[in-house]
Amino acid sequence: MKKINFDKVFSFILVSLLGLFIMKVLYSVAGEEAARFTADHYISYGVDETGAINIITAILFDYRAFDTLGEATVIFTAASVVALLLPRHEASMLKTEFTPVVQQSIAFILPFLWIISIFLISYGHLSPGGGFSGGVIISAMSILIIFTYGYRYMTRRFNVKKLSLIEDIGALAFLTIGLAGIIAGGTFLANSQVGIYPGTPGELLSGGLMPLSNFAVAAKVGTGLSVIFLSLARED
Amino acid sequence: MILVFPAIAILISMGIYAVLTQKNMIRIIIGISIVESAIILLLGAISYIPDGVAPILDQPYDTVVDPLPQALGLTAVVINASTTAIMLALVIKLYNRYQTLDIHEIRKLRG
Repeated sequence: MKKINFDKVFSFILVSLLGLFIMKVLYSVAGEEAARFTADHYISYGVDETGAINIITAILFDYRAFDTLGEATVIFTAASVVALLLPRHEASMLKTEFTPVVQQSIAFILPFLWIISIFLISYGHLSPGGGFSGGVIISAMSILIIFTYGYRYMTRRFNVKKLSLIEDIGALAFLTIGLAGIIAGGTFLANSQVGIYPGTPGELLSGGLMPLSNFAVAAKVGTGLSVIFLSLARED
Repeated sequence: MILVFPAIAILISMGIYAVLTQKNMIRIIIGISIVESAIILLLGAISYIPDGVAPILDQPYDTVVDPLPQALGLTAVVINASTTAIMLALVIKLYNRYQTLDIHEIRKLRG
């Protein structure tokens, strides 16, 4: 018993030293007036170059779209690993039955969640949001359905196979959009650099291929996280 | 701004303390998640500039906060979710095999 306490004290001292070190580093970094060449370029020229007024989406799907491809691959790998590791039986561990009040209110909420997610995806280059947030709301919808109506209700409509198919289609769509940059004469995933219809900044149809990439990534993120949750919720 | 940095340091320390001292694997995962959340908070804090507006440029502006760490934060959120899911899946596998969540017990039962 005494040894465990000694371990805890030792860990506490180590962790406190680490916290002090992190705080010192952060304060010294914050004091410096560092030049932000890339950020200044994105802010000054981003709207004219990409046609998207949301600079974060412009970075994610135009300047650094290759980064986003890697990010989408991480979700794909995680969904594959989780679906592979966990057993494949059909029984559910979520056996609790909710009252009709909860079921009715969730049934009332779900269409609105769907509208919010589609709004976030299609206006991703104009307002806060984008493919990732919209996809996460889609996966939250599937989590709500599983919790409220049960695992079987969900898998009768969307099983892991169907969701994985949609995820693959999303990934392939994103790669195809990347090929459009090569066809137009630029590099892979090039968008505004090769002049693919930047449009009028602020309008719905602007930003080149950005809305399409948003939809592809949203399909991927939403179904990928749904597959992860479906796999975690089942049990042998 | 003054108070965010101690909060980040405390959160990272708390998470690592949980990883070091807890025996239950679910609690270790919670500790790792706390560290990951602190990193996202850090990315938000270092992108902040006094009087900066959000990087959505639909109206005239003076200063804009740094958009690059925010884009990286989005990446970090997605990777956090993926790694947490994989850790939980591994914990489910370990529990099915050893019937315990205690990491010291599992280390003793190896083989």
